[in-house]
Amino acid sequence: MQQTEDPWATLLVAANAGDGQAYARFLIAVTPVIRGIVRARGRSLPPDQHEDIVQDVLLGLHLKRHTWRQDHPVRPWVYAIARYKVIDAFRKRGAAIHLPIEDYSDILPAEAEADPVHRQDEAREVERLLGQLDPRSAEIVRAVSLREESQATVGARLQMSPANLRVTLHRAMKKLGTLGRREDE
Amino acid sequence: MKTDDLIARLAVEPPPQPLRPAVMALTIATAIVVPTVVYLCVLGMRPDLSPAWSNPVVPFKTVLPLLICGLSLTLLLRLARPEARPGLLPIGYIVPVASAVALWVGAYILRAPADRFAEVGMGSVAECMGGVLSLSAVPSLVALRALRRGASTQPGLSATLAGLTASSGAAAGYSLFCTRDNPLFFVTWYGIAILVVTLLTARYGKRMLSW
Repeated sequence: MQQTEDPWATLLVAANAGDGQAYARFLIAVTPVIRGIVRARGRSLPPDQHEDIVQDVLLGLHLKRHTWRQDHPVRPWVYAIARYKVIDAFRKRGAAIHLPIEDYSDILPAEAEADPVHRQDEAREVERLLGQLDPRSAEIVRAVSLREESQATVGARLQMSPANLRVTLHRAMKKLGTLGRREDE
Repeated sequence: MKTDDLIARLAVEPPPQPLRPAVMALTIATAIVVPTVVYLCVLGMRPDLSPAWSNPVVPFKTVLPLLICGLSLTLLLRLARPEARPGLLPIGYIVPVASAVALWVGAYILRAPADRFAEVGMGSVAECMGGVLSLSAVPSLVALRALRRGASTQPGLSATLAGLTASSGAAAGYSLFCTRDNPLFFVTWYGIAILVVTLLTARYGKRMLSW
């Protein structure tokens, strides 16, 4: 591509010569493209952080705008900075994502968590562990995991929403797992 | 902050000075040359420099590090721009590295066993390592500082090259002082000194060059 035909190049040439309006127009012109790059790479991050990363890229372009050579195409330069800042931003944020478990109540495996109970051989032992839970959770575990009633039946009987039931069951199984492990040690 | 507000704020800032690789190269070269010249003025060049250079092996002591230095500096300046790629230039390292290996192996074969590592001792190794390491300190830091104005998208590689440029330049300068002309000695110890500086600069420079 001839860079003289690229409107981004024309704007940035004027901007680096001191034309603030041209610079603003350059940044406004590249912003949607950067937003697209961030969205394409950012499926693992919540969308409300995407705009922060877009601003990181804009700031990167701003701080390094003197590294563009006017006789070279401007787009590879913009994309290189965008790629660098986006990867950097995701690496910084990637480690610090914590989401509440309720958000996953619809996709949590409902029955795959029965292992902790099966580890205790005797039914008496299971009952003793269940006794340490609150009565409602214990009843859900008995009904779903031991008597293998369907979650819909149990939910109807205890007047709980399916999502609420799954979360309560998941937490009860986790608690049983910890209790069982603690006694094993 | 809204993105539009950010753009409005950035747009009123004054335009920057363009990046000048030639100025950067001059800065780094000066940072290599000045400490070397001071060192040679204080401690003196080897007295037998011109007769020594008639031995065909001796010029390699200076020329091989200079080659590495020039190559690294060129790569370094190229990578100061975000969109840059190293290209085929790194292949050039084969020439000095292969020559150094050939010198080492050749000397090992040609020399009598007792003669091979005769120069190796606490004093000589400390002098050589100390000389190259201390001459590398200033150019390493100056190169990293100069590069911060660039925008390398491979900060680790750029920091490595900064260390390599500084230490090979320092080794080339030091070779004018050093009187040990056995390739088994100078290839080994110059090589180790260059490697140490390069690794240290890479380790500490990467964060300096991240932006």
